[in-house]
Amino acid sequence: MNVGVAHSEVNPNTQVMNSWGIWLAYIILVRLLHVVLLSIPFFSILVVWTLTNVIHNLAMYVFLHTVKGTPFETPNQGKPRLLTHWEQMDYGLQFTSSCKFLSISPIVLYLLASFYTKYAAHFLINTASLLSVLLPKLPQFHGVRLFGINKY
Amino acid sequence: MANPGGGAICNGNLHKHEKQSDGSPSGNCVKNGIVKEAQQNGRPHFYKPIVESFEEAPLHVMVFTYLGYGLGTLFGYLRDFLRSCGLEKCNAAIEREEQKDFVPLYQNFENFYTRNLYMRIRDNWNRPICSAPGSQFDVMERVSDDYNWTFRFTGRIIKDVINMGSYNFLGLAASYDESMRTVKDVLEDYGLGVASTRHEMGTLDKHEELENLVAKFLNVEAAMVFGMGFATNSMNIPALVGKGCLILSDELNHASLVLGARLSGATIRIFKHNNMQSLEKLLRDAVIYGQPRIRRAWKKILILVEGIYSMEGSIVDLPQIVALKKKYKAYLYIDEAHSIGSVGPTGRGVVEFFGLDPRDVDVLMGTFTKSFGAAGGYIAGRKDLVDYLRVHSHSAVYATSMSPPVAEQIIRSMKFIMGLDGTTQGLQRVRQLAKNTRYFRQRLNEMGFIIYGNEESPVIPLLLYMPAKVAAFARHLLNRKIGVVVVGFPATPLAEARARFCVSAAHTREMLDTVPSLSTKLDIKNNLPMIIYSNNSSPIG
Repeated sequence: MNVGVAHSEVNPNTQVMNSWGIWLAYIILVRLLHVVLLSIPFFSILVVWTLTNVIHNLAMYVFLHTVKGTPFETPNQGKPRLLTHWEQMDYGLQFTSSCKFLSISPIVLYLLASFYTKYAAHFLINTASLLSVLLPKLPQFHGVRLFGINKY
Repeated sequence: MANPGGGAICNGNLHKHEKQSDGSPSGNCVKNGIVKEAQQNGRPHFYKPIVESFEEAPLHVMVFTYLGYGLGTLFGYLRDFLRSCGLEKCNAAIEREEQKDFVPLYQNFENFYTRNLYMRIRDNWNRPICSAPGSQFDVMERVSDDYNWTFRFTGRIIKDVINMGSYNFLGLAASYDESMRTVKDVLEDYGLGVASTRHEMGTLDKHEELENLVAKFLNVEAAMVFGMGFATNSMNIPALVGKGCLILSDELNHASLVLGARLSGATIRIFKHNNMQSLEKLLRDAVIYGQPRIRRAWKKILILVEGIYSMEGSIVDLPQIVALKKKYKAYLYIDEAHSIGSVGPTGRGVVEFFGLDPRDVDVLMGTFTKSFGAAGGYIAGRKDLVDYLRVHSHSAVYATSMSPPVAEQIIRSMKFIMGLDGTTQGLQRVRQLAKNTRYFRQRLNEMGFIIYGNEESPVIPLLLYMPAKVAAFARHLLNRKIGVVVVGFPATPLAEARARFCVSAAHTREMLDTVPSLSTKLDIKNNLPMIIYSNNSSPIG
């Protein structure tokens, strides 16, 4: 039973990304990151956009696809201990609206970064970083751990 | 005012039945089947307009809440890093050096929230008190030298803290006075321990007297009492339903109901909180499709709800549920832990609040912990149900029965509420509680706080949302000598941290006035966080 809680949600991590508040908070954070990078004097616009894209994708990869388990105890004997946050979202249901939002936002950022870098500079870096964060979101990659990295 | 909404049924649409709840999509519940059923009950129903509100916070508040949790998480990672480096002392349990190569004993990440967020504000919970939990109580002062990892008592006692947290709805949980003389006599005659279970030598005449009184109080045929309220639910639901039965349980049911349902082995399906459309859909699917795969009919369908939900302050929509249960031939189990003694014109609970017949509810369960100032729980209903439970309940076979002085305290309180002690003080207290509830809710609403729940429920959650405000609110109020219960994630949904007030009949108007005024003084004079978010009122500057 859920000790000390007042709802029957077994794993609250599954519902965290489902509200408007957190989407807006996420957008605000990305803009904040961009503004902070813009204020560093010796970065040019191209470098700033590439850095925004790369840092955002890196953070997303770490928090959604690397960190496993829940930061609190759950009453289901640790079933999500081996699942990343992305795999826990909505108990593994695919194509929910928060999944779609989180898949589309790196793409939007990539398009913006490509535009500002005139589709030429840093192309490989941007594309590689986008792929690194889009591939784990595919339903075919649910629970897949390449080369045994991050398995336990 | 008899039957205000009664006469206006046309084509199944009931006019004037207002259910104003900001969160729900349909304002008028007008499913043809249900409304006709409730109307054709032969008895004129007192259609109370149910006014419940679960207002959503403005968007900027939600953004700040999530940003707050995000920042807390980042700092948590930083401090974990410092602890693993050795730059910061690690106070949590860690593996011994020799065992570092074994399979890990502790899941470090699962304690992340406890270590990094809860520990920092831990001084707001588990505060020891050293007096009876009446309308005011004494709190032992404690300080921490290492940021809440350990506490020590300074020896001082904070006296006369206004008690807004105890479930002391009728003010019966007070220190000894002459009206409790019978309890003292019973203690001297019977002693304290029973040392046996109900089936063996543990059934006393006090229990029989109490059970008859409970049955009379609730206007049912029979009742049975148990020593512990939580155990009443978790030990008796398995005796009532088993494999092959279906339990339809509300989303926000208490842990005791959830545990009892899981122990029983029945299939559990959850419907959205107080949402009759969701419940009806589940009932229809259950009756039409039967058990999964074998398609046989369910042996029993049991609907589990509570009278007042303690975290939301909402009151169950009982007339609709009774109509649904009769239409689909299901059984109804109500847990009146918070509502018995505190709602209803004479304090008989949520069944009386809606003016329904107690025979419509199959199993009436409640506890004596809240309004009666004692401990324990009861299950009441038809005589054959209670006789069955006397034989088959797990608690009757294995758990020690209720202690005699506790039983006498309940007998005394119940007689007091019913008026059998010769005075009308009990009824006055019930009325005073209703008045206090209405006044307090009205004051808080006027001031612009977001309050959840039904306007007649004495449990009042005040939404704080941000994790830091939870701590600031509790500490600030304790400094001003008001004790409140605050709850945060994961006990509530992530963005809905709240402070929960429990109004009591023993509170005077001055006590009830201090709380809202202090909560607003927070903003202006002391530059402490604002918690006025409601869009429904003009902000008081």
